[in-house]
Amino acid sequence: MTSTLTRGAPAAAPPRPRGSSFATQMAVLTSRSLMTSVRDPQMILFSLLQPAVLLFMFTQVFAVMATTSSFPPGMTYIDYLMPAILLNNAVQQAMQCGVGLVEDLKNGFLARLRSMPIHRSAPLVARSFADLAYCALQLVALLVAAVAVFGYRPGGGFLGGVVSVALALVVSYGLSWVFLALGAWLRRAQTMQNISIVAVFPLMFVSSAYVPLAALPDWLRAVAQANPLTYAVDTIRSIALGMPGGGFPAAGTTLLISAAMAAAGAFAANHFFRRPF
Amino acid sequence: MSTGDPMIEATGITRTFGSVDALSSVSLRVERGTVLGLLGRNGAGKTTLVNILTTMLPASSGTARVAGFDIAREGAEVRSRIGLTGQFASVDQELTGRANLVLLARLLGSTRAQAHARADELLEAFSLTKAADRPARTYSGGMRRRLDLAASLVGRPEVIFLDEPTTGLDPTSRLNLWQIVEGLVGEAATALLTTQYLDEADRLADVITVLSAGAVVASGTAAELKAQVGQRTVTVRLDWLRSTDLACAALRGAGLHPLSPSRVSSSRPSGRPARSPTSSAPSTAPASKPTTWRSRSPLSTTST
Repeated sequence: MTSTLTRGAPAAAPPRPRGSSFATQMAVLTSRSLMTSVRDPQMILFSLLQPAVLLFMFTQVFAVMATTSSFPPGMTYIDYLMPAILLNNAVQQAMQCGVGLVEDLKNGFLARLRSMPIHRSAPLVARSFADLAYCALQLVALLVAAVAVFGYRPGGGFLGGVVSVALALVVSYGLSWVFLALGAWLRRAQTMQNISIVAVFPLMFVSSAYVPLAALPDWLRAVAQANPLTYAVDTIRSIALGMPGGGFPAAGTTLLISAAMAAAGAFAANHFFRRPF
Repeated sequence: MSTGDPMIEATGITRTFGSVDALSSVSLRVERGTVLGLLGRNGAGKTTLVNILTTMLPASSGTARVAGFDIAREGAEVRSRIGLTGQFASVDQELTGRANLVLLARLLGSTRAQAHARADELLEAFSLTKAADRPARTYSGGMRRRLDLAASLVGRPEVIFLDEPTTGLDPTSRLNLWQIVEGLVGEAATALLTTQYLDEADRLADVITVLSAGAVVASGTAAELKAQVGQRTVTVRLDWLRSTDLACAALRGAGLHPLSPSRVSSSRPSGRPARSPTSSAPSTAPASKPTTWRSRSPLSTTST
């Protein structure tokens, strides 16, 4: 045991570090969260494979949708579907953000961080950034695959593609704070998965994501119209496909709702995070 | 021992969780360069006390200063001067041992180069150099504890909290960890060590404080405590609740006294005895709702 482990010989030992800036904490913790994902190639593979499989299945099973009277004329199903797949993926990734927090809480890493002189919300913010970056990567990969393999030809062109991905990311970020709050509150991965099955999954389906509202039974259409995800899907779709109407005013609303979710989620997440682990 | 330079000084720390008193008015003092052994069994409140002193959990009442700073008002100052190794504070299992130490050093404000140098230093000192580039989840139990301990020393803390550092380790790893802790103590580091084992506290601690059901029941040097040990412990198991008063009278007549009145009370329901540091529940219990009463000296239990 050398004398360098703790305070050591005063003359020889370098001074105790005086703490890091919030920016450093962000950089270090965000890259740590990303590295943890990169070290798990299985997770990367499946998180990319899952939306691709979904894309394949839906285009095959629901292709007949495009021939029905309630479907917008002249549109292919892949063009209709792809923006919804982007959003679905963004929502799934937001949930994954909450699950990641729960795992960190469980393995004791966050307890160690909490005993250190860093900003209390740093682990939360870093987690949200890491998952945003990861989600961006996923969405771009999906978009490329859709164009290259599935024949996705959005009318909005390159710009429409970029803006639609950006909007999906904004929604994902807002929702990720809601899931961080849920994670900090519930602290159980299983519960988080259950929420996804009973709440998130139906919300995606009872919306305009996979079939036009006109094709839904009346009562379901009423629910879908009240579903905020319907607005997010419609906005992303109209921008991606370069459809008339919709577009930027709707994008503004989507931004506002996402910002509100992020603010409320961040407040709640920080509140619950303060409880002992 | 009392040089008048306390690095940990807690006064009347109380913590309740709902209606449960996890800690009731705990006071203790650890002088600079000494090790306090906090002895008690599961549920005695050791970890709660560590969580409070490391600012991770607010106390319901009471005050404490760690490294000269108030835990409630100067939390950031406290956190920059302590190291925590515990059952519940760990490293990132997916990162390598080296990456964990570098990450912590960077968070504490070291430059990249300083962080790597510090990580190398600690890996060497804790015999982890060979395993440095493997994910922590591949480490053995003993290696993981060594890495945990190294992680808590990254910032050259003035006070180290070791929460049950050897629980679950095999005898060899335990001995190895003891030697490391002794090395730290040799460097005049101040430490609070929680443990369930008297031999561990005896070997590593200058002063031992016994915590039972959230209260300090004894405190002193190992020698002082041993002098008190040797009193009788009697466990009485009654078939009928209404025999309680009779039994209590008989025990008092035999010169035995309960540790605290709350442990011998007819209001306690049958089944589990009061939280106490013994694990010597007899197996002769009748099938029909037994009630266990104990009257004992606080320390006889820790010698078993």
